[in-house]
Amino acid sequence: MARKALLLACVFLVGLAAWAAPKPGGEMVIGFGTDPESLDPNKITSAPAGMVLTHVAETLLLMTEDLKVAPLLVENWTVSEDGLTVLLYIRKGVFFHDGAPLNADAVKVNLERFRKATYAFLLFPRVNTIDVVDEYTVRFNLDKPFAPLIAHLTHNFVAIVSPKQIAELPEGKDILEPVGTGPFKFDAWVRGDYVRLVRNDNYWGDKAYLDSVVFKVIPSDATRLVLLETGQLHAMMRVPPLDASRVAATAGLELLNIPSVRTIYIAFNYQKAPFTDVRIRQAINYAVDKEAIVKEILGGVGGVSDAAIMPLVFGHAGQEPYTYDPEKARDLLKAAGFPSGFKCTLYHPTGRYMMDAAVAEAVQAYLAEVGIDAKLVTMEWAAYLAYLRKPQSEATFDMFMLGWGCVTLDADYGLFALFHTSEWAPVGSNRSFYSDPTVDTLLDLARVVSDPVGRRATYASLLTYLWKDAPWLYLHYEGQLNAQRTVAKDLIHHPREYILAHKAWLDQ
Amino acid sequence: MHTLKRMVKHRLALVGMIIILGFLVVAAFAPQLSPRDPLKFSLANKLRPPSGEYMLGTDELGRDLFSRILHGTRVSLMMAVVSVALGLVLGAPVGAVSGFYGGASDILTQRLVDVLMAFPGILLAIMVVAVLGPGLWNTMLAVGISFAPTYVRVVRSSVLEIREREFVEAARAVGTSSLTIIRRHILPNCLAPLIVLSTLQMANAILWAAGLGFLGLGAQPPTPEWGTMLGRSQTYIRVAPHYAMFPGAAIALAVLGFNLLGDGLRDALDPRLRGRL
Amino acid sequence: MIQYAVRRLLLAIPTLFGVTLLVFSMVRMLPGDPAQAMAGVHATQEYIEQVRRTLGLDQPLHVQYGRFMIGLFRGDLGTSIRTGLPVSREVWSRMVPTLELTLVSLFLATFFGVAVGVISSTKPYSVFDYTSMFGALVGLSAPVFWLGLMLMLLFSVRLGWLPAAGRSGPINLILPSVTLAASSVALVARFTRSTMLEVMRQDYVNTARAKGLRQRAVVLRHALRNALIPIVTIIGLRFGALLSGAVLTETVFAWPGVGRLMVDSISARDYPVVQGAVLLLALAFVIINLVVDLLYGVVNPRIQYD
Repeated sequence: MARKALLLACVFLVGLAAWAAPKPGGEMVIGFGTDPESLDPNKITSAPAGMVLTHVAETLLLMTEDLKVAPLLVENWTVSEDGLTVLLYIRKGVFFHDGAPLNADAVKVNLERFRKATYAFLLFPRVNTIDVVDEYTVRFNLDKPFAPLIAHLTHNFVAIVSPKQIAELPEGKDILEPVGTGPFKFDAWVRGDYVRLVRNDNYWGDKAYLDSVVFKVIPSDATRLVLLETGQLHAMMRVPPLDASRVAATAGLELLNIPSVRTIYIAFNYQKAPFTDVRIRQAINYAVDKEAIVKEILGGVGGVSDAAIMPLVFGHAGQEPYTYDPEKARDLLKAAGFPSGFKCTLYHPTGRYMMDAAVAEAVQAYLAEVGIDAKLVTMEWAAYLAYLRKPQSEATFDMFMLGWGCVTLDADYGLFALFHTSEWAPVGSNRSFYSDPTVDTLLDLARVVSDPVGRRATYASLLTYLWKDAPWLYLHYEGQLNAQRTVAKDLIHHPREYILAHKAWLDQ
Repeated sequence: MHTLKRMVKHRLALVGMIIILGFLVVAAFAPQLSPRDPLKFSLANKLRPPSGEYMLGTDELGRDLFSRILHGTRVSLMMAVVSVALGLVLGAPVGAVSGFYGGASDILTQRLVDVLMAFPGILLAIMVVAVLGPGLWNTMLAVGISFAPTYVRVVRSSVLEIREREFVEAARAVGTSSLTIIRRHILPNCLAPLIVLSTLQMANAILWAAGLGFLGLGAQPPTPEWGTMLGRSQTYIRVAPHYAMFPGAAIALAVLGFNLLGDGLRDALDPRLRGRL
Repeated sequence: MIQYAVRRLLLAIPTLFGVTLLVFSMVRMLPGDPAQAMAGVHATQEYIEQVRRTLGLDQPLHVQYGRFMIGLFRGDLGTSIRTGLPVSREVWSRMVPTLELTLVSLFLATFFGVAVGVISSTKPYSVFDYTSMFGALVGLSAPVFWLGLMLMLLFSVRLGWLPAAGRSGPINLILPSVTLAASSVALVARFTRSTMLEVMRQDYVNTARAKGLRQRAVVLRHALRNALIPIVTIIGLRFGALLSGAVLTETVFAWPGVGRLMVDSISARDYPVVQGAVLLLALAFVIINLVVDLLYGVVNPRIQYD
């Protein structure tokens, strides 16, 4: 009897092992919303493009899905005492898809090229010069200490491609078919339709299981979901939030609710009355029921903001929320001299962030309840960006909705550009013309403090100050709602809004 | 009177007329007919299916869909009328002058119309909206501008034909000025095709506004407008099919009404128009 | 006839020239510019200005237009700002799916529209006539994107008969082309019916009938033949509408066509691509109109091209 049980247990365990062992081969199809604008690391600006590229061209350091910095093409690094030199030790024995070896020269060529890129500000101008110390060591010389630098090296836009490809590229042309070191090689790209990658059998690390992976462009969220349900896709991004419960209950489908690093806010024109009065800004924060917005409109995906950055970002410190209290809002309005409210405009994008237009409409309705008559204006995205990048003398807007993805997972990226006085639009991204000496001092300080405990404390006091001063109507941080078929195993759904197929396999 | 009698005989046209009259009544008395405030929201009651409480259910902010559709009638009908009127005002005089005088100016305008017609219409509208910003008035302007070339064409071809008729010759012979001829003789005789075209374009205007609303470029919320409502509802089509159904049905019914009316008018006013419109 | 075609094409040149001027000025009137649209929320002013310089967007407008036209005469539509690919390659690779979609829809509209119209006209005021005409009106009244989603839910999700979206085989064409064709089928059917009814009242049809010809022969050989000209005209006109409708249909069905390319390029302010795409669409429009005019001669040899 005992032997029989043991045997059964063995059979069960063997079965379990067989079930869990990855099966090689097959093609996985992943659906996403927008065609990459480019696959040249110098040109890409969007998460979808970064997602595809990262399978082909790897970064120096890796941001893992649990948001830790890990070695990738760089095995180890050291930062000098004064914070002005950074040494990167490059992994040996790595080759690009075209056979070129990875070494210090290859890294330098890539980074020098990156100086001209869209996102060059991730490294430059703080990095002054880059030296090749020996075949596998690179040195960054900084003009000022810059604590977030290591985090910035994990950014997918700083991906490394073959130096041979860069050398052979005609002047002024972009890379169309990137040659990197990654587990997949570029195969085909039909614009507006799909990008196909095939396995790199000479990969330096653990090789991929899949023969190939296809990233398929399906602009409409509803259509993408239909394709997943009918089996034409194995995984997809952006399930419409209100479809979540239905997807979760469907056999053969799996719903994934992953945090995203993007914070959604409505900023006030800090230099324009009546928003110059902190009581008005606080009143608006009390007037809107953020809990209800997240629960009812976003289907519970993401969460209510408790700081200007979301909880996973380094430096986050949660604050006491502005609970929904229309009475208190009315009192504050009265105290500020607007007992019957006022008229203003609220600008918002449509189709850019999760349920953005519906959220704006809800905010408008909540404000109406306390007497603030906000007129909604939406703009097409490019026009919106242009409209919000005006010098303060020309900026006529009262409030605008925007999202800021803190992709480096470091508070500096999520706060400096938005609140420092030196970053006022049109120079930088401080579009609400926020200016406060305390905030400026703390932001500067956090850049030069290199010990993590000290930086954390600096950001904590900064976030508390910003919370009380209420330069924004703090709304929520987004979540990503993805879904996959149960046959798709070990896909990584990354908080940076990527689906990664590096270790994925098909159970069929 | 004669026209009216002929229209009544035309059964489908009568149906069209009744539909449009119905919508006009709804538009006029929307506040009285609506059971609820179309702007009153309640997130907890979002996307309710039709029930005794909410006749046609609620939208994503928990507003009463029935009341919003009733109020939307005003906006959508006004949109249709204003954009068509705009197309008419912009297009008809150009067509009349161009057709009447002929010559170099005619060739020039016709080439210009060619250009506008070769330009994809919805794209023209999208661009106008992108330049001016979205909103009710700009949508009407965009649709109106896109309609103008058709009016130029139709008026011009009617004028070309009328110009050669005897009464025009006669008027010219007695020395009537060209402007007077256009005003007294030509334009009144163009009325039939213009009325017919306009009713058919009203239907198109509603569809175009819906298309722009779908792309997020139409009337701005919280203003209830059918096209914008329909565009918004797409997100919820699986969880709340009623939300897409009712604004869609309202649009379809209005378009149907205008089409039937247009057909009827065409037969009643001028059966010869059949081959041209 | 060839002479006529050549002359018509020559006449199209000023039209296309006008289109270039219109599209060139319109895309530049759009607020925002490529640098800003591409770099997104995180961009710095320094970068935006650098891109403007590299793209030559800091040049005066007439210089930019001159460059565009010179390139055009050399057969060069320029390079996409967003992707760095030659515009001609980019637009053409997206034009093929769109032409597939619109031509199949045009065929559906013609075939079913004329068939339904003719049958209705032979039995006016019958049950078939009323049902088909009412069906036609409903088809005409339903917004393209709404109809598309409804068809997808029914045939792909509920019944599982057809692939929902994408472009991997001919079977994928069915749903989008039916969606796109719906309003045109309706229009062509209504139009055919009324034209046929009118033609059948004419003397020569009565004569043919009096000669004892069978109804079928009368309808097809005499009436339809004469009704074809206005029908061909209306079908030609529908082509423009189909191209417009393609923008929405392509979005719903993830069809990688030129309509979506254009919408995407407008939002990225990719001037060269918008210019190239609009120009090629205008060319397609001109050619289709020419084909329609030439068809007049085929359906009615009495028409002379002079």
